[in-house]
Parts: sequence; C-alpha cells; structure tokens
Amino acid sequence: MSAFVEKNAAGLGVLSGVLALGAALGLAEIMKSQTPIGPLPASSGPAATLTAADKQALAALGRGYFIQSCAHCHGDDARGDEGPNLHGLKISNARIEHRIRNGSKGRMPSFAKKYGPAGIAALREYLRTLN
Amino acid sequence: MTTDPNLWAKLHGASTHFPVALALSSVLFDSLAMAISNPERRMGLRAAGFYALILGVLGAFPAVISGLVMTRWDSLGSGPLLWHHCFVWPAFGLMVGLAVWRALARNQASSRVFAIYLALMILTAGLVAAAGYWGGELLLNG
Repeated sequence: MSAFVEKNAAGLGVLSGVLALGAALGLAEIMKSQTPIGPLPASSGPAATLTAADKQALAALGRGYFIQSCAHCHGDDARGDEGPNLHGLKISNARIEHRIRNGSKGRMPSFAKKYGPAGIAALREYLRTLN
Repeated sequence: MTTDPNLWAKLHGASTHFPVALALSSVLFDSLAMAISNPERRMGLRAAGFYALILGVLGAFPAVISGLVMTRWDSLGSGPLLWHHCFVWPAFGLMVGLAVWRALARNQASSRVFAIYLALMILTAGLVAAAGYWGGELLLNG
C-alpha cells in the first residue's frame, strides 16, 4: 500500500466517514425535495368553512404529509401496521387534529412542531377521504 | 403483481441487524485480542474483528437506504424516530470512518493507536446499539 495512504490512514478514515454521512443526508434532502407536496391552498381552516375544492386540495397535500410522516406506522394505504387502521374513522375532526398535534403517550409522537395548524388540517382532510 | 406496501419496512428490519450485531462482535473480538498473549490467536481474533467490522459496514448501507425510503427520506424524525436518528447518523459516520482506517492501517498501527481505535469502536457499537433500541421502541410503541 502506498506510503501516502499508510501515513494518512486516519485522515482518510475521517474523510470517508464524513463523506458517507454527508452523502446519506444529502440524498435524503434531495429526494425529500422531489416529493410533490406543493403549496397550501388559500383556505385551510376548520372543515365547515372550506369549499369542496379547498378540501380536495388539502386532502392531496395531506396525502403527501401522511406518506412522509405517518405511513411507516400506519401503512402506505393507512390500513394499519404498527399503528391502527385509519379508514372509516368515527371520531370528530377536532379529535383527529388533537391526536395528530399531541400524539399518544407511549404510542404515537406529537407532530405539533412538524406540522402547524394548516398541515394538521391537510392531514385531517386526507384522513376524511379514507372510507 | 402488487408490491407489498410494507416492503421497505421489512427490508429495513432484515438488514439493520447486521451492522448492530457485527459492530458489537468486532469490538468483542478486538477486545479479546488485546487480552490474549498467544500471538497466533491474537492475530486470528484481530482478523475476525476486522472482517466483522467490514461486513457490518457493508450491511449498514442497505439498512440506511431502506430506512430512508421507509420514512420517505425523513432524516430527522420526531418522537422515538428522532432518538433513533440521533444515534444512527453518528454511528454510521463513525463506523464507515473506522472501517476505512482499519482497512488502510491493517496491522501497522501501534498498540496505543489501536487502543484509541478500540475506544472509538466501543463508542460506535454503543451508538449502533442505542439506535437499534430506539428502532425497537418505534416498532413496539409507535
């Protein structure tokens, strides 16, 4: 093995570790930015105030958020995996939003910091499309 | 033919145990090598430690990629997933770096340098084990 490599094994090791980590994190950011989530619609408040078009747009957005943050526990099709089946939910919109915002201790993390009120509304609208 | 919606989760579960087990095994073999006086056995244990580390790193790449695909490229999640990521990323970087150093230095390193390497490898194995623990928490407790 060349003298350069032997002499600089430690530096090359550090460089490799940094490059591998940077590549993994960089790839994650690039692929995440490719996800066609899109901008929030103009209106994203309580369900009662939304038009049908707003609900549809929010639900599409909510689907993207769901895939990113919820699918690994609830399944891509929301029919449950480690988390429960989310089809045909019989709880109120307020309850859905409360659960997403606050989580459930020991079972589900809180998403209040990740998704603001508009993001949670989008997830709510998506879940309401699941029969 | 429909794709299993949980394919990537299953691939992650299958691949992720290799870096955990092999990092811990590498540390065990190298630690035993330091304790043993018989030169032949010491060399054999060091070789086992080396190959366990290399195989562990090779297993780490599919584990990392399948994990990222599974979480839709979320590299810093929330709740238990955040804890999992906080341990995974330093463990991954350290494991790759130490494996490269070990592959380049082979048997040229002095006892003092190897002791430093072993200390870092113990830290790495601890981080990988903690990442595995939080992965289990995600599985069991959401």
